[in-house]
Amino acid sequence: MSASCSVDLTPAEKVLERYPAEEASLIQVLQDVHRAYNYLPCEVLVRVAETLHVPLAKVFSVGTFYKAFSLTPQGRTIVKVCTGTACHIRGAVQLLDELCRQLNVEPGGTTPDLGFTVKTVNCVGACAMAPVLIVDETYYGNAAAAKVGKYLKGSGGKADAN
Amino acid sequence: MSIENSGKPVTLTIDGKPVQAHSGEFLLAVAQRAGITIPTLCHHPALEPYGGCRLCVVDVTEEGWDGWCKMVIACQFPVKEGIIAFTASERVIETRRVVLDLLLARCPDTPLIQRLAREYGIEKTSYVPNPNPTDCILCALCTRVCDHIGVSAIATVNRGIGREVAPPYHQPPPDCIGCLACAEICPTDYIPYTTSSTSRTIWGKSFEMLRCPTCGRAHITVEQARHFAGHGGVSEDYFTTCDACKRKQMAGTFQRLQGVLPAAAPPAR
Repeated sequence: MSASCSVDLTPAEKVLERYPAEEASLIQVLQDVHRAYNYLPCEVLVRVAETLHVPLAKVFSVGTFYKAFSLTPQGRTIVKVCTGTACHIRGAVQLLDELCRQLNVEPGGTTPDLGFTVKTVNCVGACAMAPVLIVDETYYGNAAAAKVGKYLKGSGGKADAN
Repeated sequence: MSIENSGKPVTLTIDGKPVQAHSGEFLLAVAQRAGITIPTLCHHPALEPYGGCRLCVVDVTEEGWDGWCKMVIACQFPVKEGIIAFTASERVIETRRVVLDLLLARCPDTPLIQRLAREYGIEKTSYVPNPNPTDCILCALCTRVCDHIGVSAIATVNRGIGREVAPPYHQPPPDCIGCLACAEICPTDYIPYTTSSTSRTIWGKSFEMLRCPTCGRAHITVEQARHFAGHGGVSEDYFTTCDACKRKQMAGTFQRLQGVLPAAAPPAR
């Protein structure tokens, strides 16, 4: 597989011990593994495939299908910008631009210190408080580009990660 | 298919023609047996129905439905007594036209799709053509045949517009046995491969060929022989002889048994 990853498999083994070694366990195992590593490392996927007797192609297929899984390391804090229609009209683009500028990442990207990942979502169903920015589990309504630094500090992460 | 003959006999009507079937059989199979053509792209008689291409849509109604029709995909619709199916009603043709229009937008340069679309009166897609034309229609015949022979080296990855058929991590698949089943079943010849008397390459993985000891033709990869031997409980040697030579040997055996030819020692390996 890809040459450069060397990952401690112990957390994955611990997860695998808790589930029956069958295909039906796959998604739950992947969820727990994702929680343990904050992404799905390739060695872990190979190990999961072997243990559950599921072809690696199928594990990879599931791992790439669900938005909840990531094959690249995710930041400790996930920042989501809603880009739904209402948020778009009320300045989601400026919000996203400012966020990406401060963290020096592209949308969907992660800062090199694995502090933050910036994601866009299509609608969080809170259009009345558009534009919405979500830092981990905290929702900021009527979010302003000028306050992006404050929102990030509130998360406890390093706001000046660039 | 296993479902055949599993249910009780029923009579249904397809395009006004009474047809005998068994309950639970799929409408597409019943129609094909009755000589009624329904276009398909993702269907293969050797594989379970998939319902991916939506080209086999038909209208189904029943006595007492007051003329109301429901649109179903024939390949996955189990028949029952008394249903009335229309395979070429105006609504069905129009729906197929939309499906083909969309497929043509995805695959503007693919001859099979162009031909099918033309049959339904579409020369050019009414949608924005795919800026990165592909021949893959995501019918998943390749991944299903790979699963079916017990290899599962490839699968569909990602979702939505990014969905594609690929080996894990887009690397040469470790499980692939180089049987070319995926490339041969592909209706649009999308999967590239090279094969010669010495080697074969598919999905970026190279394979060594085995030669038939009788005729010398390179017809199978080492991995293929090993895979089939492991699954069938037959020795790998059995698979090194090509099918044509095996047939000849078997015919010789039968002739000897019937006394046509004098008994002889089996040909030396």
